[in-house]
Amino acid sequence: MPSTQLPNYLRSNRKCLGLSQDEVAFLLGAQSGAKVSRYERFVREPSLATALAYEAIFQKPASELFGGLYQKMEQKVVARAKALTYRTDYQKPTRENTQKLQALTDIAASQSKKALNLS
Amino acid sequence: MSQIHPKYLRILAIAPSTRGFGFAVLEEEETLVDWGVKSVEGDKNTRCLAKLKEIIAHYGPDVMVLQDPSRKGSRCSARIRTLTRRMIALGSSHKVSVKLFSRDEVRQTYFTGGAGTKHALAEILAKRFPAELGFRLPPKRRPWMSEDYRMAIFDAVALALAGQRSIE
Repeated sequence: MPSTQLPNYLRSNRKCLGLSQDEVAFLLGAQSGAKVSRYERFVREPSLATALAYEAIFQKPASELFGGLYQKMEQKVVARAKALTYRTDYQKPTRENTQKLQALTDIAASQSKKALNLS
Repeated sequence: MSQIHPKYLRILAIAPSTRGFGFAVLEEEETLVDWGVKSVEGDKNTRCLAKLKEIIAHYGPDVMVLQDPSRKGSRCSARIRTLTRRMIALGSSHKVSVKLFSRDEVRQTYFTGGAGTKHALAEILAKRFPAELGFRLPPKRRPWMSEDYRMAIFDAVALALAGQRSIE
C-alpha cells in the first residue's frame, strides 16, 4: 500500500529549528501561531508569499517543504501537458509546433524520471 | 498515476509511558516527519487512544509499530498492556498494518549481541538524527532519578527504525 507525500513538512522543519508556532508566526508576519497550526494540520494552504517566507525561514525549496502539494500539482500539469501534446499533434508541423511538442514531452517525461529514481 | 512514489511508506511508532505515549513518524529511512510526547491526565488509556486516533487521521500511516507486551521478559504494567491491546485494535480498525517488536528485537537492531543501555541507544539515535533529536537527549539517568519523559521519543524512534528494517 504505497503512500503519497504529506501535503507539507512544515512541522518537522520547525521542530528541527526548535522554534515554537508563535515564533514562526512572528517570522511570517502573522498575528498568532494559530495560522501556523492550521498550515501544519493541513487545514489551510498558505499563500505564495507565505510559502516563500517559509522557504526563507527553513532554507529549503518550497517544492520540498510542500512536497505533497507539489506532487499533486505536478501530476495535474503532466496530465494537462499530455492533453496539449495530443492537441498539438493534429496541428501543422511547423518549427514552432515542433519546439512546443518537445517542451510538452519533457514536462510529461519529468515525472516518469522522478518515479524511476525513487523506486 | 497516484502510485508513483512507492518509497513514501509511512511508519508510526508508539511507545506508551507513564505520562502518555511517545510517538515517531518515519518516512523513508532518513526522514523523521514528526516526533514527540503526548501527555494525558485522568483516564489515561481513553485519552491516549483519542490522541492516537488524531495522529492516525493526520498522517495516515501504512504501518504502526508497537512494543509487544506479551513477550517473555516484558516488564510493562497492566495498564500499558491493556492500552497496547486497544491501540492494536484501533490500528486494525483504521486499516493500518500493525507490527509488534519485543524489547530484545529492538536492541538487536542497534547493538551487536543485543546488549546495551537505554541511554546508549538514545545516544545512537541522537547522532543519527542530530537536528531532530540532538537537543532532546536527556542527561544520563542516575540511580536516584526517575526516567526523563523525553525517553519515550527515543523508544518510539528506535521502534520505528526497527520496523522499517524489518520491512526492507
